[in-house]
Amino acid sequence: MTDHVSEGKNLVRRHSVLELVEHWAIALSGLLLILTGLLELPIGKRYYVTEIPGFSWSGDFYTTLTIHYIAAVVFIVAAFFHVFYHGLLGEGGMLPRRGDLKESVGVIKTFFGKGDEPPFEKYLPEQRLAYAGMAVIIAMLIISGLVKTYKNLLDPQLSHTVTMAATWIHNIFFVLFVAAVIAHIAALVIKPNRPMIRGIFTGTVRLDYARRRHPLWMAGLERTKTPSADGRGWVGGEVAGSGAGADGNVSSGEKPDPEHVAGSERANDKKEES
Amino acid sequence: MSRLTRRNFLQVSAGLVALSGVAATPSTAETSLDEETLATLIDCTRCDGCVDYDVPLCVAACRERALSRIPDPVNPIPPLFPRGMIEDWSTRKDVYDRLTPYTQLFVQRADIPEDGGIRTVYLPRRCMHCDNPPCATLCPFTANHKYPDGSVVIDPDLCFGGAKCRSVCPWSIPQRQSGVGIYLEIMPTLAGNGVMFKCDLCHDRLLNKQLPLCVEACPRDAMVIGLRRDIIKEAERRAAATGGYLYGLTENGGTGTIYLSPVPFEEINKVVEKGPGRPHFDKVSRRPARASLMETSVLMSPVIGMGAGLTAAMLAVRNRGIKKGGGESDD
Repeated sequence: MTDHVSEGKNLVRRHSVLELVEHWAIALSGLLLILTGLLELPIGKRYYVTEIPGFSWSGDFYTTLTIHYIAAVVFIVAAFFHVFYHGLLGEGGMLPRRGDLKESVGVIKTFFGKGDEPPFEKYLPEQRLAYAGMAVIIAMLIISGLVKTYKNLLDPQLSHTVTMAATWIHNIFFVLFVAAVIAHIAALVIKPNRPMIRGIFTGTVRLDYARRRHPLWMAGLERTKTPSADGRGWVGGEVAGSGAGADGNVSSGEKPDPEHVAGSERANDKKEES
Repeated sequence: MSRLTRRNFLQVSAGLVALSGVAATPSTAETSLDEETLATLIDCTRCDGCVDYDVPLCVAACRERALSRIPDPVNPIPPLFPRGMIEDWSTRKDVYDRLTPYTQLFVQRADIPEDGGIRTVYLPRRCMHCDNPPCATLCPFTANHKYPDGSVVIDPDLCFGGAKCRSVCPWSIPQRQSGVGIYLEIMPTLAGNGVMFKCDLCHDRLLNKQLPLCVEACPRDAMVIGLRRDIIKEAERRAAATGGYLYGLTENGGTGTIYLSPVPFEEINKVVEKGPGRPHFDKVSRRPARASLMETSVLMSPVIGMGAGLTAAMLAVRNRGIKKGGGESDD
């Protein structure tokens, strides 16, 4: 569960298997919810979606609704699991902090060649902000979706005001969700972020990348390191899967000098990437 | 209440208003419960189809109201991408033998062979005002809503005319008029296609303690409206007294419209003309099904996720031997 380094393989574990399962449960059910949510609009027949081989079901609103509900179960269970599991374990490495907004602007400027990136913790400040934004969107979708389901299931005469609010919150946050998913994927297209892509599929990122770009995270790991079970690397002590422990400790007054931590590796890697 | 007439329906309404202590306005109607849900009994043993009139009086009254409420479509109606599915009834306002945006009530005729002859039954057809109306619950914009008085009402100012309500209605009741409505203001060629129209049980008149126009217009008192429970009792009483048959009590999980016929509805269904705008008298089971496993699972999923998260966190704490202190959390 803890982040650990495998020096021999030049890898560091960034996400636990459980976190990968959470992410992909949300991601895949979310995509299915987007698709079937769109098909709740009467567009399947009009736009010939029903005539795509294998999509004849797309014009049947009862079928699309059933698929929407099945995906919603996965989505909601994963979201609630995520909040309660990591919340109880105090893993808050993805939660935004003071100064993240300002720092994000600076980081985004570096994508356009303006200035140098600051040393990062496990997550970039904009990742923490994006996480919070996505969390709000998902929360609103779930709450409004549950109200709509309750109305369909138990109370078709639910107050018009409540029904109307739930519908439009669901519709508006649907649009925001689609935008957020596109932005989330687009962020990985940006070159400096690409080494993180393998992380969400395999759980690990390259060690040299992590040392160069996430020195604050690695410093937290190294400060509390203990040998790993396989004897080929080491394991961060109280470093939880989401990096909360590391981030929390580092930012609580023991922040290492980034230049010192990063050392010449940062300079070397930078040369490589340019 | 043994018999419901127009007059004592009004008394019932007045009593309800007095009991609740407030006037029946849209805002207060929303806060009330099923207690005040209404239903209509359409007694086809009384309806004679107004054969002596050019147009049945209920149909004529309903149509007058529709004509006053449906604006003229824009000319020309914008072409629709990618299919040209425009439905323009504004040039055919005098069609009375099926449902259209302008004819939200029509009288269906059933000629049933009987004892070597023909027995004719007339059946005024309109929205059933289902207890669980899929047209309303599945409307993507909540342009369609079931009110506590039982009426299922499409708001013409919110409807995009996508006709999803017609697709999910067991009787395909709502009818589209293209070239009117809010879709014209947004992306008329790409999204929406007009406004869906159907009987709204004269919702505005009910709020003003007036009878629906069709009930008021009927010269033979073939239609009565009242509290749902009273109407059901009355329907069952009349069916028992005349040996008649009922339709609408259980269809689609129950509706606010109960037909009484002297012949079985299976027989009627065989002979009535069916098709677009001409609804059937089939048996209809409720869709979406009440308390379906899927919907129940959705409502339970927060609890499942929460329980799984709590359990997994406790196991993780035990496995790691972490003792969570108050100061550790940076949440």
